[in-house]
Amino acid sequence: MDLKEVSQQFERFKAAFVKNDFDTCANLLSQLKVLLTKFRSLPPLFENTPNAVNELLLAREIYEHAVVLSVKIEDQDAFERDFFQLKPYYTDVGSRLPPSKQEYLILGLNLLRLLVQNRIAEFHTELELLSATALENPCIKHAVELEQSFMEGAYNRVLTARQTAPHETYVYFMDLLAKTVRDEIAGCSEKAYDYLSINDARQMLLFSSDQELLEYVKEEHPEWEVKNGSVIFQKAKESTPCKEIPSLQLINQTLSYARELERIV
Amino acid sequence: MTQDVEMKEQPAPSNSFTSSSPSTLHHLKEIASLIEIGAYDREARRVLRAIRLTMALRRKLKASVLSSFLSFALAPGSEALTRLSSYLPKEDEHEMEVDTATTAAQPPAKHSLPELEIYCYLLVLIFLIDQKKYDEAKACSSASIARLKNLNRRTLDVLAARLYFYYSLCYELTGNLAEVRSNLLALHRIATLRHDELGQETLLNLLLRNYLHYNLYDQAEKLRSKAPRFEAHSNQQFCRYLFYLGKIRTIQLEYTDAKECLLQAARKAPVAALGFRVQCNKWAIIVRLLLGEIPERTVFMQKGMEKALRPYFELTNAVRIGDLELFRSVAEKFLSTFSSDRTNNLIVRLRHNVIRTGLRNISISYSRISLADVAKKLTLDSVADAECIVAKAIRDGAIDATLDHSNQCMLSKETGDIYSTTEPQTAFNSRIAFCLNMHNEAVRALRFPPNSHKEKESAEKRRERQQQEQELAKHIAEEDDDEF
Repeated sequence: MDLKEVSQQFERFKAAFVKNDFDTCANLLSQLKVLLTKFRSLPPLFENTPNAVNELLLAREIYEHAVVLSVKIEDQDAFERDFFQLKPYYTDVGSRLPPSKQEYLILGLNLLRLLVQNRIAEFHTELELLSATALENPCIKHAVELEQSFMEGAYNRVLTARQTAPHETYVYFMDLLAKTVRDEIAGCSEKAYDYLSINDARQMLLFSSDQELLEYVKEEHPEWEVKNGSVIFQKAKESTPCKEIPSLQLINQTLSYARELERIV
Repeated sequence: MTQDVEMKEQPAPSNSFTSSSPSTLHHLKEIASLIEIGAYDREARRVLRAIRLTMALRRKLKASVLSSFLSFALAPGSEALTRLSSYLPKEDEHEMEVDTATTAAQPPAKHSLPELEIYCYLLVLIFLIDQKKYDEAKACSSASIARLKNLNRRTLDVLAARLYFYYSLCYELTGNLAEVRSNLLALHRIATLRHDELGQETLLNLLLRNYLHYNLYDQAEKLRSKAPRFEAHSNQQFCRYLFYLGKIRTIQLEYTDAKECLLQAARKAPVAALGFRVQCNKWAIIVRLLLGEIPERTVFMQKGMEKALRPYFELTNAVRIGDLELFRSVAEKFLSTFSSDRTNNLIVRLRHNVIRTGLRNISISYSRISLADVAKKLTLDSVADAECIVAKAIRDGAIDATLDHSNQCMLSKETGDIYSTTEPQTAFNSRIAFCLNMHNEAVRALRFPPNSHKEKESAEKRRERQQQEQELAKHIAEEDDDEF
């Protein structure tokens, strides 16, 4: 009968969710989480109660909705917490329950989040855990291809991928990614080009007007000069290959050689 | 030592029976005596030698030999004997007769040394695994682990470490590694409490292997970073540890560390461990490709490894040329090999390197080239792609060039004389540091017999030594005087 109570609460939660009433959602969610602690079949206890399968299914659905909610309210920490709570439902208990429809979507979202936060090592670790069938799924494939394009530097592909996002929830992360991409492009252009015309710069950095471009340059890159209708990047003054010897480093090295040689009996 | 005297009486009657393999049983008995001596002297070295001798005998083990050895070594009617005998298959009549004859001939002088008992468990386990009777092996190993938990003797450490290894092995061969994980963790805790260093090492490696088997790199890394500092007592365990560490580092994108670990593991591994070295080399090749260096041809031509490394050779070729098409076809052609080696994801990461190498080649060969041509040479999808990729490569310092957006072309810069920079010095420095490190490790690895420093010098010897020192000092003083 606990199960029924929780299911009713959950229905109310779903109703508020559809109406995009995020405050009620958040409240109901915390209540639901407290109720869930009463079930003994959930992690970390994993007891085998008679209602185990139903309880697990319900808990999994609740957490999935929690994850999607955190994306909607744009709270990345909450996303991380809820995702970690959701993970055992996919890995450890996955065999006992019927597969969830939202599983790949949420896994893809997590990969995207790691990419946006520039946690590439964790991204790859997560990738290793996925089976070959999972990698074929469009949600996950999207994230993987995105990472590849990002690594290679084909930023235009990253930006076009925004159009092909498999689900609307991806849009939030894609926007964040767009901002990172813009910074990256700026950094690359600085080193690669001597100068760029204003039009070209605007196109590459994806601004819709010259005004935005000028503001951006003033804020982020004050060392660039804008004159004669072009942006001139501060070429690092071709410093004459310094004839000075890195003396400190050489001293350190030689001292270490002397020390080691002395040790040889 | 009364026990030793009894032991010496044993070998005589055993030589008299006409079983088909007197030498094997004889060897086993010698090994048993070696273990006993080791147990009494508290020297693990003898037990180690005993185990090495056993490994040499592995091929010749047969059920009859084993059952006669068991009845020799263990007290009759003991729980261990009944349990272990049940695992051995019943042989035909002829053998049985011979066995009963021998057991009747020998006086029942059993020393219930726990070492011998555990050694018997180990023997039976090895035999079962070699015979591919994995279920029985599982049962036997679980029983032995349970028995080990009650015993706490340092001389058992070596045998115990072997037992843990086979325990994990038989579960792995039946595909149930996950079940063993909690047991292994508990055993590791116990080993740490008892300061059983060899056991700690072995168990840590087994746990890492367990996690890596299921691709749980995250958990493996957490365990490894929190576990007590790894002191290498055994070369084989150290090699294994380096290999697992190298794998974890590769997945975490720390390629320099990974390369060091993997190459060291491949170097330290004994020549006989061909399969292990092949695996190390495979991963080392991929890591080097990911770092941007091309391994030399000799790496692929090592003895016995040519066939196994062939797919990687072709892959290296594709990366070296910088041709994306070739790379893709090679990756597809050897997909099954790469999946079984679990290097598939890493190969996907290599695509980026292929492009970089191709770009580097172009930048060196052309002083000026249009971006459309670059895109065509690298078989990229569009010119805009090419532009962005080149820009990123310039930023990362992979190539030395500038882009001209209005003319849509790439201009390469001249590379200066490298010997006028400090590059040679840094290259030399890394090599010198490596050699010195190797020397230090070799010195540290020297082992002396553990009790030699305890010998008390007798008064006479001391006088003699002091006399010699005085003479030497006088001699040196005289020499100094002479020089003036």
